[in-house]
Amino acid sequence: MSTLKTEAVTVRFGGLLAVDQASIEVTEGGFAGLIGPNGAGKTTLFNAICGYAAPTRGRVLLDGRDITTMAPSRRAKLGIGRTFQKLELFHRMSAFDNLLVAAESASSKLDLVSDLLHLPRRPREERRCAAIAEGVMAELDLGWARDRRASDLPVGTARILELGRALCTNPTMLLLDEPSSGLDSSETKAFGKLLQRVNSERRVSILLVEHDMDLVMEVCRYIHVLDFGGIIAHGTPNEVAGDSAVRTAYLGEEDDADPAPAAER
Amino acid sequence: MEEFLRTLLIGLATGSVYAMAAVGLVLTYKTSRILNLGYGAVAMFTTFVYWQFSVQWGMPLWLSALIVIFVVAPLLGFFLDSQLFRRIEGQPIVIGLMATVGLSVLLQGIVVLIWKAEVRTVPSLFPTTPINIPGGATLGTDQVMVLVISFGSAAALAAMLRFTRIGIAFRAVVDNRAVAGLMSINTSLISGLSWALGTSFAALTGILLAPRLFLDPITLPFFIIAFLLGAAMVGYLESMPLAFAGGLLIGVAQAFLVQYGTFRGVIGNIGNAAPFLIVTVLLLLAPRRLRRAATGGSFVVRTRELAEHASARARVGVGVALFGFIAVFPLLSDSISWQRSLTFGLIHALIFLSLVILTGFSGQISLGHTAFLGIASFSTAHFIGDLGWPVWIAFIIGALAAVPAGALLGLVAVRLHGLFLGLVTLAFAFMAQDLFFTESFVSGREGSVEVPRPPGGESDLSFYYLVLMLLVVFVIVATNLRTGRTGRVLAALRDSETASRSLGIKVVKYKVFIFSLSAFIAAFGGILASMQKESANRLDFLPFYAIVYLTVAVLGGIFHIGGAIAAGLFYGLYRQVFREVPFMLDIQLILFGLGATLALAQNPEGMFGEMRRGGNAILRLLGRRRPPRAEPLPVAGGQE
Repeated sequence: MSTLKTEAVTVRFGGLLAVDQASIEVTEGGFAGLIGPNGAGKTTLFNAICGYAAPTRGRVLLDGRDITTMAPSRRAKLGIGRTFQKLELFHRMSAFDNLLVAAESASSKLDLVSDLLHLPRRPREERRCAAIAEGVMAELDLGWARDRRASDLPVGTARILELGRALCTNPTMLLLDEPSSGLDSSETKAFGKLLQRVNSERRVSILLVEHDMDLVMEVCRYIHVLDFGGIIAHGTPNEVAGDSAVRTAYLGEEDDADPAPAAER
Repeated sequence: MEEFLRTLLIGLATGSVYAMAAVGLVLTYKTSRILNLGYGAVAMFTTFVYWQFSVQWGMPLWLSALIVIFVVAPLLGFFLDSQLFRRIEGQPIVIGLMATVGLSVLLQGIVVLIWKAEVRTVPSLFPTTPINIPGGATLGTDQVMVLVISFGSAAALAAMLRFTRIGIAFRAVVDNRAVAGLMSINTSLISGLSWALGTSFAALTGILLAPRLFLDPITLPFFIIAFLLGAAMVGYLESMPLAFAGGLLIGVAQAFLVQYGTFRGVIGNIGNAAPFLIVTVLLLLAPRRLRRAATGGSFVVRTRELAEHASARARVGVGVALFGFIAVFPLLSDSISWQRSLTFGLIHALIFLSLVILTGFSGQISLGHTAFLGIASFSTAHFIGDLGWPVWIAFIIGALAAVPAGALLGLVAVRLHGLFLGLVTLAFAFMAQDLFFTESFVSGREGSVEVPRPPGGESDLSFYYLVLMLLVVFVIVATNLRTGRTGRVLAALRDSETASRSLGIKVVKYKVFIFSLSAFIAAFGGILASMQKESANRLDFLPFYAIVYLTVAVLGGIFHIGGAIAAGLFYGLYRQVFREVPFMLDIQLILFGLGATLALAQNPEGMFGEMRRGGNAILRLLGRRRPPRAEPLPVAGGQE
């Protein structure tokens, strides 16, 4: 369990102001959402948190520790796990190896020499890490896909596998970038349930970036709304749903429009 | 001032040819995404045809030139497009590079077969009578005409692309080939046209450059391609105007170096190395967008592996049987010549193994492995000859000497991917060759230094077993690498660096590691190869061989350790055959070129893949194996 905070984070690409002084927070064990229309700067803010985009100004704090300038791999070691909007699986590897490589990255104490010379340490460490991967596989019901190559999996399974891969590193803060893209509504629902389970059973804090309103409203306990790079509202799902600025920005001008999910690009 | 102006104009004249040629190279790259490393050979070949027409058959120079540029070259271009380039379009980078190098070797082989490996002089198209230039300088008429023609043809191309319907079709194909096809543009015609145009530009390059240089089938192509890459890289292969400017710049810089510079003797052959230095610096400084553009959606090797994997037991069984055969071979046969060829093959298997772990396991590319071989061999030679170290110690430390060079390329690989990485590693091999290996403090006054065999390995027989022992050691290490944690991390990096980072994997560490290990293994191969003939020669490490090695490794099967062994045995057999049958020597280049160009476009899994398929089929016949479960073939593609 971790806390995450951004303090007035600004990201500028040349003349374009992608994120403008955005401050958001994920509490310990919390389940927060970050929503906004397409092009609002969600993914950019998300990348600034993970270390894939450099903030021009502002700070990113994990458990009160400043991680603004850390490399993504260091943030991962500190407990940040993430998934990608555009699937980034190790597509030539089996589903199981996708999990194993993550588990090993976080937990293996195997050194290079013992690995290359196949010293007795190696099978010991491999067994330990394989057990972690097996555990996650059972937890997410992925057993049937175990030896399938990742690129052969349907999108829904691939999204779950990516979640599993992140879980194998034992994250305390899980960041999910638009996990619903490419999923149909029933798959999205199931994925939301899965996230809630992971959140409560693993006691891991979650930040969910989404434009699928239904999903966010259902699973998140606290929501930040981003528009034109700035935070325009935050609060519980009910508070946000009732906020007039949000309705205008997110759902269009007509106040009585259905809260339909924004169309996929 | 007068001299300055003259130097400038001469530089501009030569530079304008490079510039025009670079435009031709970029044109074909943009329409097909194939970087034609055979461009220099195409120029050389067409110039030989021109020489045949004019000098041999006595046709007027201008007529020969017109026929070659407007008839022979376009026909050759169309032919190459339909028979070669179109087949390798969209194939992995390695295949494209290897196939165009294969084309280069093939054309060189044909020229050597028809016209012999002799240097010819080509008459200039225009008289050399001086013309007065405003400012007080004089310039040969030929130089002025070269300037006019180069600028003129580049301008004509630009106008065609800008204003004609065909030009619009060209640009549409460059932007998005699939969509252009939907717009009922005949994309294959456009692709053929671009290769025809590119080949004409190459012919013009050769005809204009050759009188000033020399017409040599072996060195001219490399000379031309070196300068063109330097020029084309100024526009990062994307911009024709910038490539043109780059050509002018390189020509002028070269002219001033010749006129005023006394670099020769200060640091090696800086004149030859300069274009590669430029390529390296430009690529390393390339903005992210362009570094991505050259790799966007492309991949180093085909991302497809055999669906069926032999069982561990079958693999070990085949390995042990093969090892047993190789181990007892010298006892069964008393042919010294075969034994030496087999030794030669096993040594190269080590080099191929270093490429398998780098390219097959990790998705990286190196066209610069000759640098590692040379550094290690010459270091060992000097440790023994100058410092008097014991041979065994010099052997090990010599191999370690290649590791920093490997680590350096590993760092480059953090920044560059795919084609650009390949070009920098190639440039690295050229720089090592031009700046060090050809220098007398490295390769001695006669161009060769002694590399004695270590104690215990002096006789041919004991040396054979020494090589075999080292090969077995590294095959075991490579197997452990593939099956273990490190191998999984490397495979992960190959598939997605972005995702690897998110798991806490340190990209820099692993890239430096795999390049270092590959350099280390290759270094052993290089030293052993020198030990076999007990000398290291400055011509042993020509960058060209690095490309040959990668080609043979791909032919053997770049994904598998067994592929490296197969490639090594093939290489040994190849040596034996060419020693025994003298006629074969003449067509060696042709065979190699044909083999590389044709085979690579057909089967990316190499000989090993074929052999394993055959082996599995036999096992199935014997009822020992169930048929492989049907698996859909994954789409060959991937993100860098």
